[in-house]
Amino acid sequence: MSQLEKKAGLLRRTSSSKKPLKEKVVLMYDEIFVKDDPAKTNPRFWDELFLMKVNLEYLETKLESLDGDEVMKTKDNVNSLFHHCVQTLAEEHQIKVVNALQTLCALFRGVHQKNKSASGFDIINMLMGFDKAELRMKDLMESLDSLLCGEGSESLKALCLKLLLCLVTVTDNISQNTILEYVMINSIFEAILQILSDVSNRGRHGYDAVVLLALLVNYRKYESVNPYIVKLSIMDDEPTLDGMGLVVGQALTEYNRQYKDKEEENLGGFFSTLTSMVGSMFIADADEKLSVQTNEAILLALYEAVHLNRNFITVLAQSHPEIDIPTTPTTPISTTPTTPLGTTPPSTDVMNSSELPLDPNLQTSNLLITFLKYSSIVMQDTKDEHRLNSARLCLIILTCIAEDQYADAFLHDDNMNFRVNLHRMPMRHRKKAAEKNVPSRPLVCAVLDLMVEFIVTHMMKDFPMDLYMRCVQVIHKLICYQKKCRIRLHYTWRELWSALINLLKFLLSNETVLLAKHNIFHLALLVVNLFNMFITYGDTFLPTSNSYDELYYEIVRMHQVFDNLYCMVLRVSTNAGQWKEPASKVTHSLVNVRAIINHFNPKIESYAAVNHISQLSEDQVLEVVRSNYDTLTLKLQDGLDQYERYSEQPKEAAFFKDLVRSISLNVRKNVSLTTLSQDVLLKEFSTIS
Amino acid sequence: MTDMEVEISPAQIEALQLSPSLSPASTFSCPSSPGSSSSSCSDCSLHCHNHQHDSSSSPRSSSPSGCSSGCSSGCSSGSSSGGMRGCSPPLDLCEDPAVNLDLVIDPEVALKACHDVLQKVKLLKVDEEPEMLEKCPLRRQLPNGTIYLESCDAALIKEEEQDVPSDLSQQTKLACQQPCNKSSIEEEEEDEVCALPRHTPCDTGLIKEEEEDDDEEKEKPHPPRQTTRRCPHARQPSNDQSLAAAKQSLLLRLFESKLFDVSMAISYLYKSKEPGVQAYIGNRLFSFPDDEVDFHLPQLLNMYVHMDEDMGDAIRPYVVHRCRRSIAFSLQTAWLLGAYSSDMHISTQRHSRGTKLRKLILSDELKPHAACKGASPTDTGCPGLRDCTRIHHHHHQRHTGEPGPVPDGHTVPADAFLSPSKRTHQRSKSDATHCTSLGASLKRTASSPKVECGYDEPLRLTPQREFIKSLMGIGKRLATLPTKEQKTQRLISELSLLNHKLPDRVWLPTAAFDHHVVRVPHTQAVVLNSKDKAPYIIYVEVLECESFEASGVPVRIPETRIRSARSADNLLPESVAITAEHRAGSFSTVPNYDNDDEAWAVDDIGELQVELPEGHTSSSDNISQFSVDSITSTESKEPIFIAAGDIRRRLSENLAHTPTTFRRDPEDPSAVALKEPWEEKVRRIREGSPYGHLPYWRLLSVIVKCGDDLRQELLAFQVLSQLQSIWEQERVPLWIKPYKILVMSSDSGMIEPVLNAVSLHQVRKQSQLTLLDYFLQEHGSYTTEAFLTAQRNFVQSCAGYSLICYLLQVKDRHNGNILLDSEGHIIHIDFGFILSSSPRNLGFETSAFKLTSEFVDVMGGLDGDMFNYYKMLMLQGLIAARKHMEKVVQIVEIMQQGSHLPCFHGSSTIRSLKERFHMSLTEEQLQVLVEQMVDGSMRSITTKLYDGFQYFTNGIM
Repeated sequence: MSQLEKKAGLLRRTSSSKKPLKEKVVLMYDEIFVKDDPAKTNPRFWDELFLMKVNLEYLETKLESLDGDEVMKTKDNVNSLFHHCVQTLAEEHQIKVVNALQTLCALFRGVHQKNKSASGFDIINMLMGFDKAELRMKDLMESLDSLLCGEGSESLKALCLKLLLCLVTVTDNISQNTILEYVMINSIFEAILQILSDVSNRGRHGYDAVVLLALLVNYRKYESVNPYIVKLSIMDDEPTLDGMGLVVGQALTEYNRQYKDKEEENLGGFFSTLTSMVGSMFIADADEKLSVQTNEAILLALYEAVHLNRNFITVLAQSHPEIDIPTTPTTPISTTPTTPLGTTPPSTDVMNSSELPLDPNLQTSNLLITFLKYSSIVMQDTKDEHRLNSARLCLIILTCIAEDQYADAFLHDDNMNFRVNLHRMPMRHRKKAAEKNVPSRPLVCAVLDLMVEFIVTHMMKDFPMDLYMRCVQVIHKLICYQKKCRIRLHYTWRELWSALINLLKFLLSNETVLLAKHNIFHLALLVVNLFNMFITYGDTFLPTSNSYDELYYEIVRMHQVFDNLYCMVLRVSTNAGQWKEPASKVTHSLVNVRAIINHFNPKIESYAAVNHISQLSEDQVLEVVRSNYDTLTLKLQDGLDQYERYSEQPKEAAFFKDLVRSISLNVRKNVSLTTLSQDVLLKEFSTIS
Repeated sequence: MTDMEVEISPAQIEALQLSPSLSPASTFSCPSSPGSSSSSCSDCSLHCHNHQHDSSSSPRSSSPSGCSSGCSSGCSSGSSSGGMRGCSPPLDLCEDPAVNLDLVIDPEVALKACHDVLQKVKLLKVDEEPEMLEKCPLRRQLPNGTIYLESCDAALIKEEEQDVPSDLSQQTKLACQQPCNKSSIEEEEEDEVCALPRHTPCDTGLIKEEEEDDDEEKEKPHPPRQTTRRCPHARQPSNDQSLAAAKQSLLLRLFESKLFDVSMAISYLYKSKEPGVQAYIGNRLFSFPDDEVDFHLPQLLNMYVHMDEDMGDAIRPYVVHRCRRSIAFSLQTAWLLGAYSSDMHISTQRHSRGTKLRKLILSDELKPHAACKGASPTDTGCPGLRDCTRIHHHHHQRHTGEPGPVPDGHTVPADAFLSPSKRTHQRSKSDATHCTSLGASLKRTASSPKVECGYDEPLRLTPQREFIKSLMGIGKRLATLPTKEQKTQRLISELSLLNHKLPDRVWLPTAAFDHHVVRVPHTQAVVLNSKDKAPYIIYVEVLECESFEASGVPVRIPETRIRSARSADNLLPESVAITAEHRAGSFSTVPNYDNDDEAWAVDDIGELQVELPEGHTSSSDNISQFSVDSITSTESKEPIFIAAGDIRRRLSENLAHTPTTFRRDPEDPSAVALKEPWEEKVRRIREGSPYGHLPYWRLLSVIVKCGDDLRQELLAFQVLSQLQSIWEQERVPLWIKPYKILVMSSDSGMIEPVLNAVSLHQVRKQSQLTLLDYFLQEHGSYTTEAFLTAQRNFVQSCAGYSLICYLLQVKDRHNGNILLDSEGHIIHIDFGFILSSSPRNLGFETSAFKLTSEFVDVMGGLDGDMFNYYKMLMLQGLIAARKHMEKVVQIVEIMQQGSHLPCFHGSSTIRSLKERFHMSLTEEQLQVLVEQMVDGSMRSITTKLYDGFQYFTNGIM
């Protein structure tokens, strides 16, 4: 979007257009940038201007092309233009309002693009003038607020939101957008809430409203008191929260649906690709075809809601039938030109329709299930930056959820059983099918499944250490809850144990490569401590007494991994070096595991010897385990069931800064006002007036 | 009869003498009046009227012969036929009569009544004193329409106080019509009647005033047309009526006796073809406690729907009256009327009677008389309160000619009296005082017929109807889904929606207390086992309140509030936060047996290396946000050793101690939900509810049935309840558990679930044990007290239900229809096949009841004491039931009227039912019979066959 390109585009367009002459509006723009005061010669200049169809490109280019001196020369006129735009917003004439909104967009964008390096104050000065800025922005925000909350045209509301999105994303770093300071003072929060709580508005504008909110919340998040953060965190209006949940849910559902469609499309080609790739580690090509652009903006909104608002957690569990019909613009792409405004089909809003659609195939779902499915798709492939970020954000959200007691309560609610069909990465050594028969289980099983799935599928050279840490922590938090509340989850823990042991194995075998980049001991410690949880507190949350035996069986069976780990950490901890400390922690944490191995291995061997069996069956081993508990002493380790609570600052601040930046760029790219086809608007308004 | 009079205390007599005021408005005609002594049943109305009027001047002396049998009817015939019709259509005192009358009054009836009036007038003109005439103008001030006595005579009293204090004597005379017709009273009861003359119950008659009244000539004295039965006055010795009183029939005395309960009233109402008696009993209903009448409501309404005109007219005032007073009653009545009308042919006139009343109720016209602003708790309660002396006192005042307000008049708002909770016979002090103010208000309103209610309650019934409608809608939609799991999931999401838009003022009709529903914990709901329907059980959180209608609706607490109510930090249950120390303490600290020193080497080194003071160690537990890294720091303390064996043991113990739960089975989602002990469930749901902290929070549950006709279930419930109370009365320790049934239409309704009970099928399927082994598992070994108690419970319930099954011929007794509760009782459910119907009439289940060898095993085998106890209980139970057979049979018999229910198929239903009581057998013979039945049932091959059949067709074990 460089200036040159734009100009070129503009030129081409004008040359190819049927009108060789400059439009009247362009002439008028020229007047603004040339003359002293256009109103002097033509008292009705401003009135006329807003009756003209806006030429955004020209205006933006014109603004961009101004250099220092010219800026000062035309500053008064630009201020005047801005002023009149704001004034026009209050007018009844809707065409004028539309034009004023679009002109404002062009002003914000043009001025910013020109002055990327300039300070925010200069920009404000240029647009509104320092002395007037506060008043102008107040008027602007009030007008926008009343337009958004009023009974007016849908297109106008959409345009208002676009303007706001445009304003919020003009800078790459949202926190550098000084104009937003006025948006903080003149809060638009209530208008956003109203859109979310109203059914029809939510259908049409919910997506934009939620994205806008997510972005506004991230303005100077860590530096100052952001009123949007405060307000979002204390919001407790049920319909609004539900509305927000629905918008997020629909967006994620839409993503899941698109992915599924693509997957089915590619299914034929997929196997051929797969076979052609035998021996190759990289199946990325195949995956690329499946990739649907992820939607970090909506994910960020979900994160902010879960993280900031205690009440939002309940919305996660709000069940509703799964909606497969695309109802709202769900990805940024769909906000692009092709969707004519005002023609969006009325949303089939489940929460508000009196009766649910009656379709036996319709699965009952809720936001959490949708999110888990979404996560399972996103986590499949973490190779590109966007997806890695998405996966990280998913795990952060899951961390927040796992820490929340109320969320834990419904995750473990035995009465809320769902079938959650997680997407599984196609892998050579396992079949893709056999998923459809997932039993209906408490939701926490789906979360654990997702974590196990992640663990087994991401042991690669480019090791996503950070994601692994989060993943294991999520499991730990869930187990802590189960231990605290004595919930005996009927889950096949064995899968988790073997996944964790395999992870340790992977860490060991790639020690040198990994150690160059990561502190693998931290992760190893977390994993070993998960085992310690099971060993010492298993009585409080394991579902059957057999499962405790199985734990021992699994440990004994895989004792080599633990032995090797012990050797490794012992070696590292005895050497002086940066890993001495973390490695010695792992050594200590292995105490009980080693005690078990050292206790049972000889017993099993002697059992085999006595009975002359070379290979003991599982049952036989379990028998040995069962009969030899009493002579085994374990050491009680402290703090196993305690964890560090998630906090965004300071650890995650950088991540979110980058994330918001990329979202801003994305949103900016996709909010194009030129797309608002004037025809549609004209048609709409001609019928009104 | 003289002895009766003697019984009356002088004071009372005086009061009675002075009481005429009561009558003025209303003549006391009534079924009772002349008849007793006299007139054969054939007495025409004309004749009767004569009697009435005569009575005021001359002693009543018609044929004392009084048919002994015709008895009940003999009496009042005429007068009542007129009067009764008169009293039927209730009119609103304050409402625009035009609105109501059309709906309420059958034009035909009205016309006839009018005719009667005319005739009476003629007669009166001849006989009556002039005062009578004076009254007319007064009467005309009343808004036309029928009036409840309660309001009406109060109003009139007041009017008269103010305007015509002179017409006393006439009233006195009028007042003394004898309401008594009796002849068929059993001797035993007579004494009681005599000993305890009862004054109150009879003042319940309704005054009727037709709209036509207005059109009639001024001279027309209305009072005679109105009927009030006010027995007490019958005993005024000084009056002409004394003679008539002496001739009170035995039947009347029965009616007035203490023994006369609702059951008898219903019975006489049903049996009597005499309109007078019907009308009398119709009025008498007002004097019974609401809940007692409510029990017989199905009978009452079925009679209303299916029996003749007179019956309808007799019952209607009471029903309308109750409807006005209670939303719950209104809806229940409407539902029952709908259900019982459904069997009729659409075009029949009778049909329209039931449906018309139903429409009237549902149209919400039957509001409380005025606003219920003043409906204070004092007004509402004490149905049994009968404060006669107050009335008399009041009359006394009148008599002494005090025109003004009653001296001790409380300053109570006028409309307080009009509160729907009022009943004529309940005149408490406050009532009496209210009367005066009512009069005032009447006067005001008389001039302007449109009464300002100042009270608008737009939706009285709507919220509840909507609530029920959506529950039924859910059931219908669920039925279309193929699998249990889909049904359950859909149910949960449907309920979650319902929860969102729960109407403000709704209740669960099966509950025993007043409450408002605040939340439906949707995740707890489950679909029950049924082949093609989708009955489901929901749990409902309610807040108990004083009165459903008067108490304020609880504030809605958003679901999200739960978060603020319970902070995340407080959430951990006490027991749960076990710190390392506690934990170590709870384990026996054991020496380190393991000789593998190597495993400990590192630790030992750690211990040696870092030595920290003891105090430090304990503090580590209080660090709430403990990072995992902290392990190193904790190494500092003395290591705590625990035995792995302890952990393992603990695990098994914990698992053993948790109450046995059922496995989750997608095909039988209800098993787990029903197995969970109720207290546990309540606690759990309470914890998760934003309303849980409120002191009046309660949990209720209800089964919503859609697509099933529950009328038979309701009938069974009534019979079971009746038998239960009979056995209780006779002190037979049989145990049965009638569960409440709510019929909402002929194909929908609600059932009160039996708590803490699962079906035998579920027990077998889940536990894979025999019943006896299951008992041993649940309650302990043979000798434990718990087992013995459970066994006794089992036996008592078995005996109870064996009798029930026999008497009612309950069929379809597969194990899915027999529940076992946590105390060992069995409970039979599903009375879809009783009396004359059986499933597909396959001829299975020919035995008297279901008694399998499994049952016998639990009872301790054939030779056990408990088995003998079982048989003995059955014998006692049968003897007791036999004694009160009528009460039971009557319930069934009335319901047979106009019913097409399969249980009444054929003509011999009632006869066979009666036969099963074996009235003719001696107790010894009965004992033999019981032995035979037990023996036969036990050996019955068909029972086994049927169980096998159920297993193969429906998978019921």
